Amino acid sequence: MMHKLTLNNVSKAFNGVPALNDVSITVLSGRTHALMGENGAGKSTLIKLLAGVINADSMSIFRDKEHIRITNTIDATSAGFRFIHQELNLVPEISIAENILLSKNLPTLFGIQIDWAKVYRKAELALEFLGATHINVKSQAGVLTSGDKMLVMIASAFVAEEESSPYLYVFDEPTAALTDQESEMLFSAMTKLKEKGAALLYVSHRIDEIMKVCDDISILRDGVLVKSTEIKNLKKAEIIKFMTGRELKDSYPPRTASMSSKKTISLRNIETDYLKGITFDLKAGEILGVTGLAGSGQSSLLKLLVGVGKALSGDATVLENSLAKSPHDAWSKGIAFIPRERRSEGLCLEMNVRENVVLSHLKSYGFHAKPKLEQSDVEMLAGQVKVKYNGSHQPVFELSGGNQQKVLFARALKGAPELLLLDEPTRGVDIGAKYEIYTLVRELSDNGCSIIISSSDLPEILGMCDRILILSDGRQTGLLEKCSLTSGDLLTNIYSSDLR
Amino acid sequence: MQKLRQSGTLIGFVLIIAFFSFQLPDTFLTARNLLNISQQLSMLAVVAATMTIVMVMNDFDLSVGSMASLSGIVAASLFVNEYSIWAGIGAALLVGLVGGLFNGILVSVVGILPFVATLGTLTVYSGAAFLLSGGKTIFGRDIPKSFSDFSRGGIEVGSIKIPMLTITAGFVIFVCWYILEQTNFGRRLYAIGGNREASYLAGIKVVKLRMLAFALTGLGAAVAGLMYASRVASANPTQGAGLMLDAIAAVFLGMTMSKQSEPRVIFTLIGVLVLGVLDNGMTQMRVDSYVREILVGLIVIAAVAVSSISKANR
Amino acid sequence: MKTLIKSVAISLLISSSAAFAETVAVITPYLAQPGTQAAIEGFEAAASDKGWDVNVIDTAGDIAAAISRIEDSITQNVDAIVINVDPAQVSAGLQSAKDAGIPVVGLDAGADPLLVANVTSNGYAMAAETSVYIANRIEGSGKVVMFVFDAFPPVQIRGVIADAVFGNFPDIEVLDRVTPDVSDGGIADSRAKMEAILAANPEPGSIGAVWAAWDQPALGALQAIEGAGRENEGIVITGIDANPQARDAIAQGGNFEASIAQDFAAMGAAAAEVVAGTFANKEQRASVIYVPTKMVTANNAK
Repeated sequence: MMHKLTLNNVSKAFNGVPALNDVSITVLSGRTHALMGENGAGKSTLIKLLAGVINADSMSIFRDKEHIRITNTIDATSAGFRFIHQELNLVPEISIAENILLSKNLPTLFGIQIDWAKVYRKAELALEFLGATHINVKSQAGVLTSGDKMLVMIASAFVAEEESSPYLYVFDEPTAALTDQESEMLFSAMTKLKEKGAALLYVSHRIDEIMKVCDDISILRDGVLVKSTEIKNLKKAEIIKFMTGRELKDSYPPRTASMSSKKTISLRNIETDYLKGITFDLKAGEILGVTGLAGSGQSSLLKLLVGVGKALSGDATVLENSLAKSPHDAWSKGIAFIPRERRSEGLCLEMNVRENVVLSHLKSYGFHAKPKLEQSDVEMLAGQVKVKYNGSHQPVFELSGGNQQKVLFARALKGAPELLLLDEPTRGVDIGAKYEIYTLVRELSDNGCSIIISSSDLPEILGMCDRILILSDGRQTGLLEKCSLTSGDLLTNIYSSDLR
Repeated sequence: MQKLRQSGTLIGFVLIIAFFSFQLPDTFLTARNLLNISQQLSMLAVVAATMTIVMVMNDFDLSVGSMASLSGIVAASLFVNEYSIWAGIGAALLVGLVGGLFNGILVSVVGILPFVATLGTLTVYSGAAFLLSGGKTIFGRDIPKSFSDFSRGGIEVGSIKIPMLTITAGFVIFVCWYILEQTNFGRRLYAIGGNREASYLAGIKVVKLRMLAFALTGLGAAVAGLMYASRVASANPTQGAGLMLDAIAAVFLGMTMSKQSEPRVIFTLIGVLVLGVLDNGMTQMRVDSYVREILVGLIVIAAVAVSSISKANR
Repeated sequence: MKTLIKSVAISLLISSSAAFAETVAVITPYLAQPGTQAAIEGFEAAASDKGWDVNVIDTAGDIAAAISRIEDSITQNVDAIVINVDPAQVSAGLQSAKDAGIPVVGLDAGADPLLVANVTSNGYAMAAETSVYIANRIEGSGKVVMFVFDAFPPVQIRGVIADAVFGNFPDIEVLDRVTPDVSDGGIADSRAKMEAILAANPEPGSIGAVWAAWDQPALGALQAIEGAGRENEGIVITGIDANPQARDAIAQGGNFEASIAQDFAAMGAAAAEVVAGTFANKEQRASVIYVPTKMVTANNAK
């Protein structure tokens, strides 16, 4: 029996600015429905409305003929809606099992004593459903790698429930922090959910993934539904065109200048408390990709180069110098860094665009603050990286993820860096902004800046990088020339290195 | 809503002044009373303004009160041993700077939470003050006349005399404002307050700057301690104790007025004025001193509550 | 919030706006002390007989705030100010009062040329009486623990006298000269300090007496001695002030044997007379006015 969940005439405006305008979508049970759109297209708003976190200006929801009213999060839960968010909201101090059952009442004996055996069993079943049997539910959540944390978050939506059977699962960029292998685990769990008759609403920026796992697709642009159809009716280029409203350009801009032979980095057998055997050279203008399973030391390597942490042994020459002693040292030597977590590691969210851009370069403005001069500098840079904003006085928390990332690029560009370190530079960034970021990176590389990109997005690594360094559990297990590599080759390398 | 949140405290301040002016038409809004208030508030203003420096970084310093006591005792002890006034003042300021730096090292280098670290040094500095003074109040002939005369003096402007304490406070406030708002040093402190990890990764010398900021706060507390000692012509190992809570309250009141609830020296000053005007006006209206304390506490809570409720609704 | 202030304020205004009565501000940082309370109550009683309008202001230990409140009272143009705080420490305020022609009377404060007069008990005499009482009870020989508080001048002079008296007996040794933390009233910390001293001197008879410069440490020492089960060693305790709790303890006939009753109420009344004198433009010659005191022992404690 096929059920139909119909969202009719959904509208929502914030301070008079419409975020969603008369959107109607039908989601069928037993199918995966993709929800796509650039950042700011209204995807998050729609999900928040379904979850009851915010209330719509107008919205009516029908499950077949039954009218469902959602005004708060409890309504959403009792309507059988379950949400898997991209944010990691685990409590690190308590056990994984308790985290998985966090939003539920823990099973008890006689209504008082917590029935720990049952707690662990329930959590284990939820993880088993996802195929993540390697996680010990009794250990503390804080010890997990970030990929495993995401799996635990996802598993919490799969806890067996006696009272009500979940009807709609909403996945909000679930694979953002997952490796391909972990993503596969998620996809097979999704298939099982479909077989049980649930409807799945799937939000992701990764078009290839969407084309692979989804049955239907709805595309939003600027708060309006522009297309809703079966996914087999659309090609990738068409999806992008619907999302961006423009033709797809070649997604990875090609190199236009030839690399110089000048060496900027030379690392030999570098060892830290986590990394082992890091050995590579980098030429001016070269782009090195760093990849591996999640948490294999990619961030540690980048942070080592920016002066966080110490090398215990090995030889390093970076920009004709030793390793940076601190981020301050790194920036003053012409090393720029864009961290992985732009909100917690990159930006002062409540401060404005200008202040965030000049943060690393205040020294160049002398002792006395010079806001006017900064403003003209920042406006020039913001134009260069194409930040969409209301002016350099706008607080960065008001910007979309892609524009926040561009603010960090403006900061990096400001010092005309010789070495640029990018940790997951396009994570959570919409496709239009992604292309602009790739263009920027390519321009920098063509101008002789050496770049290291750490990314879990393999097409991005293959599209942008000249060579690829593979890490496994902190160890360098491969250094591949890109030419003629395919995504499959790379995957084989990542996983086989893991088995070694 | 944002505007209301920001201006709520200011409107409250204006209403308080209007209320007292109406109730006390002859005495409240007089040059003499206003100068009085400015002089009474001068020590609190100095502590609050310098407290703002660390609070900008989301840190705070509980030890300022005992540091103020200690600085007074240090100066007075030197006076007892017949050192010159400038030696006494210099030593007191040095103790403030070093004590503040010690707070900074505990917080920034050792990595103890500011609450715990400065709670510890609060006791240490207070104990040092007792030890140095033997628990006694140092007063009378031991305090040089020219030292206590400072707080009684002023600069004549036309028919009014602006008290030296007011001038000193004004100078300290100006310096704090200049440092925090007009220099790149201050900008870095605000960035650390905005996101410490991001600031560190962006190349800000977080450890060093936090140390320096605590040192400045300690120095400010020492200045206030000297002002206090001059005003009461004596030094007592507990005399600064009341300053810490009022200073933090003033900064919190001030934070309700700024855009992103960040501390700003000018708004801290308004916070200080709110507390001081309430004290002065209610004394004049003869509100019982205990009732006054309850009211002041409730007003601080009300202002911060209104601010956080309207912030949550934004 | 604002209406609350307003209603409180207005009710206070109404209750106190007796037409054209002389207004007197009483300013102290020490209202929590029972002696200060009694003195101020005595002053208020005398003042209400005279029809004055009295405003009592406590600054809860803050001396600078006491100066501020003196200045505020001057702004208000009160007719007289009574202070219970060391005048040397508030001389900034006193000078302003003098400039404004407002008389200031000290109530157990300390002598100062800027005061019309200071009304107090003879602290020298009180300390002499209790310390000599101890010296006699232990027959001029033994170890004595002293509880002092030199930060407050009227109490500081008591310690000086006791030092002199004990120093004059060659066989009396001052075992310790303790300054208790008074922020909790003085009893609890004195008890703790005394417990430590008892623990350090476990031999029966090793402590002959406890001399306290006021009653709270004496009570704390008594609790410590009783708590340690050493009440039968004949340790003699004396206090000064004879507050109600001390009188109870003395009446029990235990170790706490004597205290000196300051007549705070009379002190307040005497201060009111000095204020009345200034209103009547009488010349005040003596700068210190002593109010008689009385030794309290088990015989007359109740």
